[in-house]
Amino acid sequence: MADEKVIEKLKELWTKYEEIDGKFDEEMDPVFKEPYYPGVAEKLFNPDKPMENRITDIGPPYFRQFLPPIIKKNYGKWVSHEIIQPGVLKYESETGDVIYVVRCGTPRLETTDYIREICDIADKYCDGYVRWTTRNNIEFHVDSEEKLKALIEDLKNRKHPNGSYKFPIGGTGASVSNIVHTQGWIHCHTPAIDASGVVKSIMDELFEYFGSHKLPAKTRLALACCLNMCGAVHCSDIAIVGIHRKPPMVEDDRIQHVCEIPLAIAACPLGAIKPATVEIDGQKKKTVRVNAERCMFCGNCYTMCPAMPIADGEGDGIAIVVGGKVTNRISPPKFSRVVIPFIPNEPPRWPTAVKWIKHILEVYSQHANKYERVGDWIERIGWEKFFELTDIPFTEKSIDDYRLAYTTYRTSTHFKFTKHIEIK
Amino acid sequence: MDKAELKQKILEVMEAKIKKGGKTKIYLKDLQREIPGANPREIKNAANELVREGKLEYFSTGSTVMFGLPGVGMGLEAGVEKPEE
Amino acid sequence: MSEIKKHDTPMVDQLKSGPWPSFVDDIYSYGEKHKKQCAFDLMGQLELSYKHKETHWKHGGIVGVFGYGGGVIGRYSDQQEKFPSIWAFHTIRVHHPAGKWYHTAALRKLCDMWDHRGSGFVNFHGSTGDMVLLGTTTEQLEPVFFDLTHQFHWDLGGSGSNLRSPACCMGKSRCEWALFDTQEIDYELTMHFQDELHRPAFPYKFKFKFSGCPLDCVAAIARADLSFIGTWIDEIQIDQEAVKAYVNGELKPNAGAFSDRDWGPFDIKKEVIDLCPTKCMHWDEKEQKLYINNKDCVRCMHCIAVMPKALKPGKDRGVSILIGAKSVILEGAQLSTLLIPFMRLEPPYDDVKELVYKIWDYWMEVGKNRERVGELIQRIGLNRFIVDVMGMKPIPQHVRIPRNDPYIFWREEEVPGGWKRDIKEFRKRHPA
Ligand code: HEM
Ligand code: SF4
Ligand code: SF4
Ligand code: SF4
Ligand code: SF4
Repeated sequence: MADEKVIEKLKELWTKYEEIDGKFDEEMDPVFKEPYYPGVAEKLFNPDKPMENRITDIGPPYFRQFLPPIIKKNYGKWVSHEIIQPGVLKYESETGDVIYVVRCGTPRLETTDYIREICDIADKYCDGYVRWTTRNNIEFHVDSEEKLKALIEDLKNRKHPNGSYKFPIGGTGASVSNIVHTQGWIHCHTPAIDASGVVKSIMDELFEYFGSHKLPAKTRLALACCLNMCGAVHCSDIAIVGIHRKPPMVEDDRIQHVCEIPLAIAACPLGAIKPATVEIDGQKKKTVRVNAERCMFCGNCYTMCPAMPIADGEGDGIAIVVGGKVTNRISPPKFSRVVIPFIPNEPPRWPTAVKWIKHILEVYSQHANKYERVGDWIERIGWEKFFELTDIPFTEKSIDDYRLAYTTYRTSTHFKFTKHIEIK
Repeated sequence: MDKAELKQKILEVMEAKIKKGGKTKIYLKDLQREIPGANPREIKNAANELVREGKLEYFSTGSTVMFGLPGVGMGLEAGVEKPEE
Repeated sequence: MSEIKKHDTPMVDQLKSGPWPSFVDDIYSYGEKHKKQCAFDLMGQLELSYKHKETHWKHGGIVGVFGYGGGVIGRYSDQQEKFPSIWAFHTIRVHHPAGKWYHTAALRKLCDMWDHRGSGFVNFHGSTGDMVLLGTTTEQLEPVFFDLTHQFHWDLGGSGSNLRSPACCMGKSRCEWALFDTQEIDYELTMHFQDELHRPAFPYKFKFKFSGCPLDCVAAIARADLSFIGTWIDEIQIDQEAVKAYVNGELKPNAGAFSDRDWGPFDIKKEVIDLCPTKCMHWDEKEQKLYINNKDCVRCMHCIAVMPKALKPGKDRGVSILIGAKSVILEGAQLSTLLIPFMRLEPPYDDVKELVYKIWDYWMEVGKNRERVGELIQRIGLNRFIVDVMGMKPIPQHVRIPRNDPYIFWREEEVPGGWKRDIKEFRKRHPA
């Protein structure tokens, strides 16, 4: 089609959208039936008149148009569910309808070809409908046991060239579900560690726990590659956080030109940054000085000012936190706590970090009661017991000294005698 | 203060900051401090309208957004440094 | 094609093996198939990061497309010479549909657009919820936006000091425990607050999350400035026959979530009654009947999750609204704090919108740069926030325990006679 014709067609479709305020429900927005036209944006966008043809503030498509008909029909009418095998759920509605759901892990970082393969599967078995979960899993929905069998068989046989599963099935019930994670060295400017590589290494090692229900309760893992914590690591059963250990450097000759110095100063939560002036080649330059004694290596200054780089191959690494959770089930939500303050970066497979995570998971699995999340188990046995059972060396780094630290001190004579107490 | 006045005032504040050799990018909060008579929501609306008119531009610090005069101070592309002051 | 330049990536290549889906295999296969240099450059730069144990990305000031103060994150490689195809490699956040359901017609078209205009790499999804398109140049930003709006009727998500893309659990679309329509309110508020989502309005970011029940599958209580969590006010619905079926082992406890380990036969006393946090349940062995003292129930969902076919949440449903969650930056991590114990929801959710404006107006006025609303409440005190700002009545539900220090900031009008006193009169009674 000539571009002019396409633009006319798109205008028609836009009018249709506007007529119903985008609330496509029974029928999908016909705009998705049109193929993608690569050249028209250049025709519509005029750099000299940027407001011309500009559509703004329309939000995402109305969700109901993407619901499978059986989901729409039974919306709010589901009565029960059952996990018939790890990764496979069955839902029953009050209307008598039944659906089966297959949940698969994904690496979250993926290509359009991987998404297209998901589309192939959804087209073949699910009338084109597919859903993602909050933990980067995909869910395929089918309405019969025959389709379910064929779908599972198909998914099991899809592999990448070097043998990894494209769509491992699992993530339900008392399993380790997919890791919620962040960008790392693939795409962020502030990380202390990689994300995708660490996650791949951990999930390879914990693979059997993704596709089975043998843990005492569901176990949520998360990873954030710096203290900005784009992933929800502060409330996870076991999580990894990237940390720095060297104060930022200051580029005296550049800072004045690439940063707003007052902002860099204000960025520091501990007031460790002060303004300064230096002379370079006889010229006075504005810069800053960092009080290294005060620095807690949070990296806020670098977020605001590129002339204060903080990353360092030897200084940076992993901290492991455990015992947090989000759900209100049995006990209230709680924060994760630092148990291993530092493990060096060991690309490409981070063996030390992976070993400790697997070890913590297995000690938990061996000792916790049914339904007990990692944090509930530790609270029952006591943190001193946790350190003893896991053989994680307790260091002064696990004693809080930030805000509200006092609330974490032991202010009673209730403690257990573990190997940590040396009696003369 | 009506919107036109408010917009004028915002531009004046920005220019005054630059003349003083201070900041070239400022937060909504800073505008609020400089224009105490106006309500924060109106300042926000006026500043955002100035962006649409091309008289101000947004600048990302990584996690927050600031306002600046187009072409003044740190450039939008990385590695493009602000001109010698 | 000869112009494709490949790099040696021995360390990155080690991530091709093992059972978990390999992003390295995926990216390399894509690069080979589409002859895209950026696939090889991205892996090359990752290899360099593995060698240096440091990132090679830097950040620019770009925030969005014309008139938008969010939705785009500027990204540049510091290895322009080595990896020129990823020198400018910006991220675009595309607002996910509520509940993250899709049809392949939309997904395939998006893939075609992104092959044409960007790297072909994506995150499904970012941790806030958006679809994340990873990697394109500055010149492509406007065309991508024009494509999205004209050819998909689809908008960008939030970033920076904006309202971020709200997120919700799948709710009524598939979950029997959804106590309100999480997807509908997510959509309605998303549309109502488009201006705040696309243009900076606040001292810092603001997030809404909606979970249909207290199990909180979208982690609203840990990750949202305003968390909406479904709850009920009346009685848990009990099907005594089904309870018996669980007790007799005819039904699988917890819907089969513990199937791969022998935990012994189901023991209702040990697994339900004793684990109830308020001990408000009783199993009468003789009568074979379950009793719940609903007045003491805190709606933790445990008993319901263990015996989903026997127990259901009550019928009088609404939400609890909590405020102020965030992770550690800057003042330390916070969970959301209970603000409104119970509110019934009715589209178009006018009382929720009113509440939101009230909170925002105050935060915009009093909040400091980069201060999340949860930190602001800490600074001024939850008591002042509830009473002075929200104009609400303080109730014991607002705290876990009352304060232990009597350092109370009394107001002058609360004390008979006020604070103005006459020292001379005082000295008449108490000679110095
Ligand atoms: C009808 C039953 C349930 C449904 C339909 C449901 C649905 C979901 C889904 C689809 C996810 C994303 C899962 C994934 O990606 O693997 C999820 C995550 C989650 N679910 Fe559930 N769930 C149910 C029961 C539970 C139970 C019993 C608990 C508590 C023990 C729970 C707490 C959570 C939590 C904490 C997350 C993770 C949230 C995060 O960290 O982002 N859910 N749920
Ligand atoms: S956690 Fe930190 S390093 Fe990782 S993606 Fe977020 S900001 Fe970047
Ligand atoms: S790393 Fe954090 S504590 Fe250290 S100087 Fe920078 S902002 Fe301050
Ligand atoms: S939060 Fe509750 S209602 Fe929503 S999906 Fe999870 S279990 Fe279901
Ligand atoms: S929901 Fe929780 S508190 Fe309420 S009766 Fe069940 S187990 Fe007890």
